[in-house]
Amino acid sequence: MRLEAEALTLEYGGRRAVDGVSLAIQSGEMVAIVGPNGSGKSTLLRGMSRLQKPSSGRVLLDGRDIRGMGAREVARDLAILTQSPEAGLDLTVRELVWRGRYPHQGILQRPTPPDFEAVEWAMDAADVTALAGRALGALSGGERQRAWIALALAQQPRVMLLDEPTSFLDIRHQVEVMHLLRRLNAQGMTIVVVLHDLLLAGRFCDRIVAMTGGSVAFDGPPAAVLEPDGLERVFGVPMMVIADPETGQPIALPRPDPALCPAARPLP
Amino acid sequence: MAGMATTIEGSARQRAALGRGSRPLLFVAGILVVLLGLAYLSVAYGARTLSPSEVWSGLTTESDALNHAIVWQIRLPRLVDGMLVGAALAVAGCLLQGVTRNPLADPTILGITAASGLASATAMVIEPQIPTWGMAAACVGGGLVGAGLLFFIAWRGQISPIRLALAGVAMSAFFGAAIVALLSSSRTFLQTSLGFLAGGLYGADWRDFRATAVYIVPGILGAFLLAGRLNVLALGDDVASGLGILTDRTRVAILVVCGVLTAAAVAVAGLVSFVGLVCPHLARFAVGNDNRRLIPASALTGATLVAAADLAARVVIAPYEIPMGIITAGVGAPFLLYLVKFRG
Repeated sequence: MRLEAEALTLEYGGRRAVDGVSLAIQSGEMVAIVGPNGSGKSTLLRGMSRLQKPSSGRVLLDGRDIRGMGAREVARDLAILTQSPEAGLDLTVRELVWRGRYPHQGILQRPTPPDFEAVEWAMDAADVTALAGRALGALSGGERQRAWIALALAQQPRVMLLDEPTSFLDIRHQVEVMHLLRRLNAQGMTIVVVLHDLLLAGRFCDRIVAMTGGSVAFDGPPAAVLEPDGLERVFGVPMMVIADPETGQPIALPRPDPALCPAARPLP
Repeated sequence: MAGMATTIEGSARQRAALGRGSRPLLFVAGILVVLLGLAYLSVAYGARTLSPSEVWSGLTTESDALNHAIVWQIRLPRLVDGMLVGAALAVAGCLLQGVTRNPLADPTILGITAASGLASATAMVIEPQIPTWGMAAACVGGGLVGAGLLFFIAWRGQISPIRLALAGVAMSAFFGAAIVALLSSSRTFLQTSLGFLAGGLYGADWRDFRATAVYIVPGILGAFLLAGRLNVLALGDDVASGLGILTDRTRVAILVVCGVLTAAAVAVAGLVSFVGLVCPHLARFAVGNDNRRLIPASALTGATLVAAADLAARVVIAPYEIPMGIITAGVGAPFLLYLVKFRG
């Protein structure tokens, strides 16, 4: 399913956080959005779902303006996972995941077999089946993140937007979350994920959109976007790019800068 | 055999998926038995104690005129009014706890009870002979104004649960003071005022039932229809919007239902506290967090609690009465403390 922002402008905290961004995500793509803090990544993601109303521009889902569609209708095709939601700590994982069926259920309708299947599939895909009866508040950060992913999956979306799903996770859980997204993508789901980690972006995504100051600075495959001069302009620090010794994929790193790290001096 | 085992396991899993095993069924069965028992006791006991045969003849024949009048004109309507009031307050509390994401929310704490009470007190002072339906309408007007004010104060681009709770606490204090000021300036109402302020069902009859059921029955149905949305709203605004909830519109609908339910209860029973706070917690303990179960379970719990409290209010120092609100607070407050300390 194709998701398209047209000249999207969004406010955040009284200022223009996203400034006339046009971005077309093709069906079946897996796209990373990177950029420094405050560059408008999260706001763009909120604007591309129905979480935030744009001050101008529009968002098209398979050619239809999402503001003209019903809220539940959008939620059946598009799921968004915002940064570490804090609510629902007294729910069990299964109760949480069931709420992902809301856009598919009628007001007085009893759960149908497809609802049960979707919930079981979502918990299985996010690897939380073993945690189904545990309260969300009793889980570790990584487990909780997977439970929220399972909630989004229970929506059975065809486009999924995720805002930093790997932050606060250890390396193993980061890689597991990215593998899960890759698997879903291989099954045809369109995925847009905001990442701080350029390594994960380069290794797992087909395309990287680099934002700075509310606009898109670079947009292309990892090999094109992950190059030192461009990254330095986006992030404001000297960068270098090396090749992964096993796969040859580009890996972006901050360049050691003696001017920024003077020789150790005793503290006063 | 294998297929059957799968089916049984499957349905057990489905039950586990939706609630907490058989506990909800046991809860409903248990509470219905208690409610029936309370109904019998409420009809049999009071200023004059009726024997089982007198209860029966009072219920079934008009020839036993005295007992027939006691049963049908005094005790049954009061029982039914009490159950309705309890259900309304408990459901309102359940909705408010969900919408504010605060387990301490209830119509009293958020000022909706006081807003309805102020309307009721004003109506009493202006027109002491006000008919029951007029009183109910005045209260519902007051409750809706209170809920609207709460919404207006808490709204700033969107409604935050925290602003909602803060605004409610302030409104509750302000309207509470206004009620006392109003009642204390009109000395003749002192005795009635006391019953009204403490909350009670003194003299509740079928007219009260008709005047308030028209608000409470649709209110509870409305709450039930909002339950699925409330479930999702409890996950926070971003998650709820992502799942297709229009968050502010849903909150307005919930506040309107709360205003109507609370006000109708205040019209019959005055300022009853703690029912809205405690009952949802009791029900949650039995049926879990799913509002589609929690709202009906809260209604049953509220009906039972108020029926029991009113029975106690009538018989503890019979033939005199103590205000029922004293019992709900006297039982409700320690019970809440117990929950906070040992179950939270």
